[in-house]
Amino acid sequence: MLKLFKEIRRAGDATVGYPFQPLEMPAGFRGKPEHNEKLCIACGACAIACPANAITMELNADQSLITWDISYGRCIFCGRCQEVCPLFAIKLTGEFELAVKNKGDLRESCSYAVVQCARCGRPYAPAKEVDYARRVLASVGGVAATDIEKLDLCLDCRRADDAEAFQKQARERKGA
Amino acid sequence: MLENDFPSQLQWRPDPVALDAKVAEAKERLLGSIKRSVYVYRVDCGGCNGCEIEIFATITAVFDAERFGIKVVPSPRHADVLLYTGAMTRAMREPALRAYHAAPDPKIVMAYGACGCTGGIFHDNYCVWGGTDPILPVDVYVPGCPPSPPATIFGFACALGLLDQKLHESHHVAPVGEEAPVAFPAIPYKVRTAFEREARRMSGYYYGKQIVDEFMMAIAKDRVNVFGAVDALIDGEADMRKKAVFMDLKTLLLSKVVDE
Repeated sequence: MLKLFKEIRRAGDATVGYPFQPLEMPAGFRGKPEHNEKLCIACGACAIACPANAITMELNADQSLITWDISYGRCIFCGRCQEVCPLFAIKLTGEFELAVKNKGDLRESCSYAVVQCARCGRPYAPAKEVDYARRVLASVGGVAATDIEKLDLCLDCRRADDAEAFQKQARERKGA
Repeated sequence: MLENDFPSQLQWRPDPVALDAKVAEAKERLLGSIKRSVYVYRVDCGGCNGCEIEIFATITAVFDAERFGIKVVPSPRHADVLLYTGAMTRAMREPALRAYHAAPDPKIVMAYGACGCTGGIFHDNYCVWGGTDPILPVDVYVPGCPPSPPATIFGFACALGLLDQKLHESHHVAPVGEEAPVAFPAIPYKVRTAFEREARRMSGYYYGKQIVDEFMMAIAKDRVNVFGAVDALIDGEADMRKKAVFMDLKTLLLSKVVDE
């Protein structure tokens, strides 16, 4: 009997004290994706990459706001969003205590303003994304920085500009 | 749910089971008094078996759910808690309902895993009707794919009213004119992205990011003697794999150097 007790003492206790003590998850554990609203430029890369469509991006009715939305209930914790995010705004944390009683509590969302085209007035991209692109292009300089003022235009207007420039160039070349 | 061509009036859809007032009241009383020692019956409605593996990991010695009296039983007739795993598939709706009706009232229903909560990655499959909630009144949702054993224990504690949920719905509106900062503004953008790509190519997105951050921190810290800082970083690294990535990044850095 004493031998048994000695053996038990030697073997120790394998059980974790989890609900009574906090549990440290190992590094690299893929838990709750943490979205950094300040870093996010609402580019939508995570929404495209998300295999389970847990992350969605939707425009509101008058297209003035784009809403980033995650459903932790649908998330499969694959980390694709973290992989594709160009600004590292989303990161899978060690947080695992996600159980809820109300399904609505599984949602988290963040709205970003959408800018209008300087010429035609149609909404075309999130304001933060355009602002970020402008600063990055300015810092890169050279050829990339020559197109900075075109960032205020929507894709359609830029295409129209390009087409006109091309036409003009073709005519000039023909005339010469 | 996916919009398909099959007319919806021809698809049989069960009415969600509604809890009558008497049972609901009994459930409140039960939750107030038991707190522990509940028997769990798990129902797989069409999952991949990942959740089942985690449930059995929860009752092993390491996480030992049985110290709270939580026991997995082989029949719904013994159960206090019904654990629904997997997306609610058309084929499994009837067995799921039968298990629900077989369990004695009052009972707690838990939706387990991403599929049990919302249908998960299978939410738009032709035979999937979403999670457990379209047909059954769910008390606790335990997300995860699969939920880890501690998450399972937390889910049980939530269901029994021992712990409070930590997650709450939140909506944030970004202030107008908020600027997203460019990472490492001291390092040229193209050089930084080239480093990031190379490090990720060498060691994947997760470790690649950590390694490239360490590398760029070293560069940003010592603006005068950049190569000295990089060499110190390489020499100080004990892990050969990480060292190889650092050396690779150094080669890339050398290729980016321009004479002035």
